[in-house]
Order: sequence, then C-alpha cells, then structure tokens
Amino acid sequence: MSEQRQSEPRVTGTHAVAIQSILADRRRRRWVHLLIALVVAALVVWSVDVTVIKDTDWERMGSLASVIESFMRFAAIDWSLFPSLVEPAIETFMIACLGTLLGVIICIPAVWFGALNITPYKPITYPLARLMMTLSRSIHEIVWALFFVAVVGLGAMAGIFAIAVRSLGFIAKMTAEAIEDIDDGPVEAIRAVGGNSFQVMLYAILPQVLPQMLSVIVFEWEINIRRSAILGLVGAGGLGLVFFRQMNTFNFAGVTTVIIAILGIILIGEVVSYFARKSVI
Amino acid sequence: MSILEVRNLSARYSSSGPEILKGISFDVEADDFFAIIGPSGAGKSTLIRCINRLVEPCAGTIQFYGRDVTTLSGRRLRHLRRDIGMIFQEFNLIDRMSVMDNVLSGRLGYTGSVRTLFRAFARDDVQRALEMLHRVGLEDHVDKRADELSGGQRQRVGIARALMQGPKLMLLDEPTSALDPKISREVMALIKNMAQEFGVPCLCNIHDVQLAMEFCNKIIGLQDGVKMFDGPTAQMDQSKLDEIYAMEVL
Repeated sequence: MSEQRQSEPRVTGTHAVAIQSILADRRRRRWVHLLIALVVAALVVWSVDVTVIKDTDWERMGSLASVIESFMRFAAIDWSLFPSLVEPAIETFMIACLGTLLGVIICIPAVWFGALNITPYKPITYPLARLMMTLSRSIHEIVWALFFVAVVGLGAMAGIFAIAVRSLGFIAKMTAEAIEDIDDGPVEAIRAVGGNSFQVMLYAILPQVLPQMLSVIVFEWEINIRRSAILGLVGAGGLGLVFFRQMNTFNFAGVTTVIIAILGIILIGEVVSYFARKSVI
Repeated sequence: MSILEVRNLSARYSSSGPEILKGISFDVEADDFFAIIGPSGAGKSTLIRCINRLVEPCAGTIQFYGRDVTTLSGRRLRHLRRDIGMIFQEFNLIDRMSVMDNVLSGRLGYTGSVRTLFRAFARDDVQRALEMLHRVGLEDHVDKRADELSGGQRQRVGIARALMQGPKLMLLDEPTSALDPKISREVMALIKNMAQEFGVPCLCNIHDVQLAMEFCNKIIGLQDGVKMFDGPTAQMDQSKLDEIYAMEVL
C-alpha cells in the first residue's frame, strides 16, 4: 500500500483529497467490472451445459466422421426436382405479391388512426392503431400462418393472409410516421378551398408521403418473398411445402435444390426491389 | 355596403395562452383592397385565418354576406370556405402534382369525394382552369410539376387556384414575402388587376409598407393584437407608421 502511494503524484491540500477519492472510485469500479464479467461467464457456462451438453443426443450424433458424412448428404443437387419447382416458386412469388397488396389495403385504417396529426379521436383511435401495429409485428409469420391455416385451411390463401397481417405493422408504422412529418401548408390550402377531410388526405397528404410509402411497400414485398418461401413448412403453400416434403422423405439433395430455388427468387426480389426503390425516391 | 363585418374579434391558440387578437373590429366594402400591416407577431396571420376559420376565434362575431361565420360547422363551413379564396406566403401548392391539377384543386369545394378520387373535374372547371392559367401567364407550364416552377410562377399558380373558386373575398397572407422585390411588384399588380376584373375584395397581410401604400386603398395597422389604425391609405403617414412599428425596434 505504501509503495503504491509513492508512485502517485505528490499533491497537497484539498486537491490531494480529491485525487484520493478519484483513485478509490477507480479501484472500486475495477472490482465491479470483474464481478460483472464473472457473472456473465457463469451464465454462459450454465447455458452451454443446459442447452448443448445435456440437451444433445451425443450417441446419435456419433463420431466427427459421421457428422461430416451427414452434412455431405446435402452437398448434391437433385436436378430431376427442378421442373416440379417452377409452379411452387411462382406460387411463392404470388403469395408475396398478393399478401403485400392485401397488407397495404388493410393498413389504411391503421395509418389513418396511427398518425397523430390526422387520427380521428386521439384517446381511442391512436392506441388502437398502435395496438394493431404491435400485434402485427410481434407475432412471427409462421405463427400467423399456423393461425390462418387453422382458420381457412391448408393452401396459399392462409399464406396470403399471414403475409398481409404480418406486413401491416411495418408499412403502417413507417407511413404514419411519414404523415406526422408532412408540411402543413398544402393541408391548410386544401382546407381553405373548402375541401373535406377525404380531399385533404388525397390532395394534401398522400402526394407528400407517396414516395416514402412506395419505398416501404417494395421493401416489405422483398421481405415477404423470404417469408412466403418458408410458410409452406406449416402448410401455407409455396416452396416451403416442397422443402418440407423433401425433408420428410430424406431426399437431402432435393432439400438443397429447394434452398437454391428459394435463394434464386429472393435474389430476383432483391434486384427488382433495388431498382424499384431507386426509381421512386 | 360592407360585405364583411368583424366585431370584437379575439383569438388565442390555447385556453391559457396569450391573446393574439384583442377585440378587433373593422368592415370590408365590396371594392376594397385592404392591407393589414404591423410588426411580426402582431397577429396579422391569425386575423386573416379567423375569417375562413382556419383558426378558431375565441370571442367576437364575423358577418360575411350576412352569414355568421363563427357558428358554422361541417358542410356549411366548407361552403363558406369555397367562397373565400386564399393565397399563401409559401404558396402551399401540392408539389408533386401538375400545375393544372393544382389549379383544379381550387374547385375541390365543388367536387364530390368520388370525383376527387378519379380526378374527374367538371368539363367547365377544366376549361376555366386553362383560361386562368392563360390569364396568369402560365399557359406553357400546364403539365409541369408544381415544384419545377420558380417562386413567382408558383405564386401565379396560387393566384389561379384561388380565383378558380370564384371567390367573393380573397385573403392574402404575405403573398410576396417569399419573392424578390421586382417579382413582388409584378405579383401584387397581377393580384390587384385580377381582383378588380372579377370584382373581388381583398384582405392582404403585408409587411412591406411601400407595397401596401402603392396597391391598397385601405390599411389596418395592428400592433400586438390591437388595431392601431384603420382608414384610407391617404390618411396613413410616417408618425402613425412609427407608432405601429414602435415595438419592432426591440
């Protein structure tokens, strides 16, 4: 302790007291940091023990060689599957397109209620809109699809509904925020010519937010292609259904083929989305 | 005969906020071109917006052609508004729409919601819009987007839009403040000519006293929400101006 003091700068009076307390603080904080690090490390060890060590069927996994062998089963492409993928691929595309379109339609009330400057009755309509947006986004698309499969049965329609409902939140939130940021001048002008509130929305508000809205819709459409590609896993149509079947019949080369097809249409979606969004901004 | 009678008009933006207008009274005759002058913050914009109820007055009455403006609501308020044209400092055009669509928007008060959705304006309205654009000198810019025009041109679109309403009164809120001096004069002259031709009385907020004296036949001087002067332009002189703008030195 006394040796440490020697190395510290010699200052006297109140200043020295201040320096002492700063140094004490720093020592204390070092201990706190160490404690936090230890707690985090303990949590990691415990998690690995519970989820990986105890929860894995080590016997079934076998040796490293057998793991590699299992993995290599996927390293082939089942070309014979390709012709039968065209239709599901188109279906996946259509689910994404129709789902996005339906999402845009059902998000109109959420946008109207959810923008503070146009919401009809703030104490009720605004929270209602926020609830719709949160519900839409906090429930996963697979869960929405399971729900709609239970409601309307297996097939693409359940997928379309799931995509639409899942899209509502993001589109509505972004559009409502854009509406909150508009220039009020045109709104004033349309009100001054005697326009009703519908005309104010159509003439003064919509033109101002349309580019942002289109950009958000295209972005959401691109994401929806990814979503619709997996919705088949729960029976809601598209490529996911084929994927599920290949997996069930242990046709691992077929699984790889479907993954490649999914990658392909996602890539197409990304390219289209890039150029479409560039042209609207 | 006065077409607009304002009596003891008061306005505030919130119930606890300061009074922006304090008991203003004045009359507008059928052939008046009124200037409302005063330092910024005097309540000029608020006064003008009370007349078409873009701002709600908290006390006083406004009679417009015998209609009690302050009690109107819903459809009847919209019908009042379509009789009153308004021109704005920042033009307030729909930037992403064509010049033609902007001018036609002056007829929205006469157009139903379904027609609005399909932009199906009456044939007469379209004809009239083209004539108006010709009158304000924009016949070569009909299909351009409003945001492609210069400031002076944009305000001409604003004038055409207001006149499309076939207004019985025009409210001008600093129509030239965003323009340079030369264009300001041109735009004021255009407004004055058109107002005279169509027989529309005008109420014009303006901070350029020079322009006000040149174009207007009557002047209202506002200071801090109180009317300091109301009379023909000829009666306005330097000492009265000094009084109205006394606070601006601060």
